[in-house]
Amino acid sequence: MNPSDPDASRFRSTPTDRRGERDLDDLLVHVARGDQAAFEALYDRLAGPAYGVIRRVLRDPSQAEEVTQEVLLEVWRTAARFDPAVGGAATWVMTIAHRRAIDRVRSSTAAAEREHRSADIRPAHDEVAEAVEASLDRERVRRCLDSLTEVQRESITLAYYGGNSYRQVAELLNVTLGAIKTRIRDGLIRMRDCLGVS
Amino acid sequence: MRLLRQDLHTLTGAFALDALDKGAETDRFNRHLNRCQSCASEVRGFREVATALAFSAATEPPPELRDRVMAAVARTRQLPPEIRTHAGPRRSRTRLPWVPWLSGAVATVGIVLAVLFGFAQAHTQQELNQARAQNQAIAGVLAAPDAKLLTSRTTAGGVAVVVLAAEKRQLVVSTTGLPSLPAGKVYQLWLIGPVKTVSAGLLPSAAAGKTAPVLASGVVAGDKLGLTVEPAPGTAQPTTTPILALALPV
Repeated sequence: MNPSDPDASRFRSTPTDRRGERDLDDLLVHVARGDQAAFEALYDRLAGPAYGVIRRVLRDPSQAEEVTQEVLLEVWRTAARFDPAVGGAATWVMTIAHRRAIDRVRSSTAAAEREHRSADIRPAHDEVAEAVEASLDRERVRRCLDSLTEVQRESITLAYYGGNSYRQVAELLNVTLGAIKTRIRDGLIRMRDCLGVS
Repeated sequence: MRLLRQDLHTLTGAFALDALDKGAETDRFNRHLNRCQSCASEVRGFREVATALAFSAATEPPPELRDRVMAAVARTRQLPPEIRTHAGPRRSRTRLPWVPWLSGAVATVGIVLAVLFGFAQAHTQQELNQARAQNQAIAGVLAAPDAKLLTSRTTAGGVAVVVLAAEKRQLVVSTTGLPSLPAGKVYQLWLIGPVKTVSAGLLPSAAAGKTAPVLASGVVAGDKLGLTVEPAPGTAQPTTTPILALALPV
């Protein structure tokens, strides 16, 4: 099928293949050449998801804002190092965003603060579904999460949105390390197939 | 404690979710990734899943953030690109490892069409990569061990041929002999579930009465594959009676 047909891209609903992802890659190329207007356009597309995931991990809106700013500035600074052969622009930016959020969680002070709140760490898996509305991608992610077994879904949610290491997830769910590794991986394989990531 | 190779391999998921402990474990896995191509490609796919999870958590940031970021950008120097040597090891050209596995006429026809359509219209490397990824996904469905072939006549005439890979929750649709549509109308595919109906995209325009195979993902139990005629460029929900409603045994 014709990959440049914007409607055709609906068949593949993962963010890196979503409508306009190619534009995102192009935008990033322009950003790498110092084009601030391109960066603004990139901001408008990616700041929401970046802030959303960082806030989901950190919980605290003001810390989340601070980390989002660091992440976006890092995107600006290092845009020339973006390699489209490794993955799309959205994936590149979201990887940086999540990693920075995790760094913040695992830095000692934040860790100490979070200890207090360990009771809240375990989210009801419904949390994933909250605020789901019209967006097709969101709906599809939810459908795919729903297709996982409960333990797979919990393991992935606790790790990705909860910012827990797999050792912590094993502790929280009271299962062995080996089992957690497998569940996370099996769950991601199922998500990948369900979302149509190749 | 020394991890066995198999143990390292199962860490791909935790690694892609940034759930490894910093330090020795991450370093060891990174070294393993450099040697293990299948792990690296698995991590790439998982990172895309993670990106989907991030997008599904998207939240509007406070408006002041934009101004602050733009102000910071205006006074921040960018890093220069890394200069790579000619035969840089990282950017290995995509191989097409799927061709040999395929057998059967359906698969072959599907692939030939997909490749023709994908490559003929791909102009940039990026488009080529996308076309390859797409073709690879289609090939994956056609080559799935549980692939089922379903055919159904539409009420408007013409036949839809569907290859369903239940385990992957994906299907590939191609059609022959659908009536051609007036300008401004398109054929749109749907996954019609017991609770929700979601768009599965548009059929590409037909060449010699046939439409090229298209991939739809995220099929869940109880879904039917629907086809309707909609105003271009497609609609969020069907607005006309489906000319096809094919039950999907997943």
